[in-house]
Amino acid sequence: MKKLLVLLMAMMMIFSVASAETASDKQYVLDKGVLVVGITDFAPMDYKDENGNWIGFDADVAAAFAAELGVKVEFVEIDWDNKILELDAKAVDCIWNGMTLTDAVKAAMETSNPYMNNAQVVVVPADKADQYQTVESLADLVFAVEAGSAGEAEVAALNLNANPVLAQADALMEVAAGTSDAAVIDALMAAAMVGEGTNYAQLTYTVGLNSEEYGVGFRKGSDLAAELNAFLVKMYADGQLQTIAETYKVQAALIEQK
Amino acid sequence: MPLFNQIVEQMPIVFRSLNEGFGQTLRLFFVTLAGALPLGLVISFGSMSRFKPLKWLTRMFVGIIRGTPLMIQLLIFFYFPGLVLKNNIWGSGESGRFLAASIAFIINYACYFSEIYRGGIQGIPVGQEEAGLVLGMTPGQIFFRVKLMQMIKRIVPPISNEIITLVKDTSLARIISLQEIIWAGQAFMKGSQGISGAIWPLFFTGVYYLVWNGVLSWLLGKLEKKLDYFR
Repeated sequence: MKKLLVLLMAMMMIFSVASAETASDKQYVLDKGVLVVGITDFAPMDYKDENGNWIGFDADVAAAFAAELGVKVEFVEIDWDNKILELDAKAVDCIWNGMTLTDAVKAAMETSNPYMNNAQVVVVPADKADQYQTVESLADLVFAVEAGSAGEAEVAALNLNANPVLAQADALMEVAAGTSDAAVIDALMAAAMVGEGTNYAQLTYTVGLNSEEYGVGFRKGSDLAAELNAFLVKMYADGQLQTIAETYKVQAALIEQK
Repeated sequence: MPLFNQIVEQMPIVFRSLNEGFGQTLRLFFVTLAGALPLGLVISFGSMSRFKPLKWLTRMFVGIIRGTPLMIQLLIFFYFPGLVLKNNIWGSGESGRFLAASIAFIINYACYFSEIYRGGIQGIPVGQEEAGLVLGMTPGQIFFRVKLMQMIKRIVPPISNEIITLVKDTSLARIISLQEIIWAGQAFMKGSQGISGAIWPLFFTGVYYLVWNGVLSWLLGKLEKKLDYFR
């Protein structure tokens, strides 16, 4: 037993020597020469074009930011539930994927200034949409919500019946299949995924439950957040940010950077 | 048949994506086998060692690995170095995830293989070893010339079982965002490459597993027959 302890302690010491921390997160990324961006496949913020390259409003701005820093950009698809784990374990350097700035996110990450407006909206079958135009009318419904999402938080705050599922897309499937009465998802996503001309033509969205904002998350204490804020101001001032937003038709939701 | 037409339309994009994911699944499968088959033999020697501390340490290690879910092991292997030791040893991007997943799979499967090997070796009648010693053979000669081929013959059925389980277990690597075939199939539910809300790609991944396991079962069956030259 004693030998085992000594062995364990020796191993710990080897690891702790190997892990001398660099002072600044920016310096760490510069030394590495690559900014690793944690994303999910989430049109119109981060998604793949026909050639398999990552594009979208967030992807384009992230690439521009990496170019400004003078490093390469690398997009890595992550499991959204593990985003804080991914950051802290240095598996990625930032979370840049239409992330709602909730209190939990702000507590766990160093976040940038908000750059885009969003809301959580209620999705219901189109033929029942007239009945559910106010918050009061929602009391009897069972809502499918993504576990850990801002939508789940809103449903809980209103004391409504929630049925947590793995992803926002699963929540939509629940409504389409009739296994849940309604879903609460991001307005930007609802605009892209439900209604005429989409795979969910039989669904529509009605009430907005709150308004919220998107931001970029870095490791707690990172100096890259301030760096990005300055960069966003610069891009807004010379109109580049607006141009990118127009490319992906999200200019109406863009927040002025100053 | 609007649904059928839609599926036909989506096929080229979905198959390209699933093939890519299945490539990653197969890479993880082969790397795990290449690493775990020999490592399992080394571990089995450890657990049969006459040097007691080594024997108990090995058996304890095998007990821990076999007693905890592979999913937890994947999470610990991938996140622990960066999170606790502040040093992400895996490197960034998809290749880092693949490396971490490979090592977790190799260690996990080596432990299972080691127990199968141990059963195979210890199942050989002790009289054969005694006869070899009487004939003046060294322990090494006895292992390689007398026991090894008999052991291989005996362990083919249980190892085949593990190999087929391994094909399906590779899907667990999804927990550290390795983009294997289940991940690729699920992406179309959420929305990817212009297809969203499509559920059939995820179910269709089952066909890939079924075909590949069919091929493996056939090959392993042939191997078993070939080794069936004595009883």
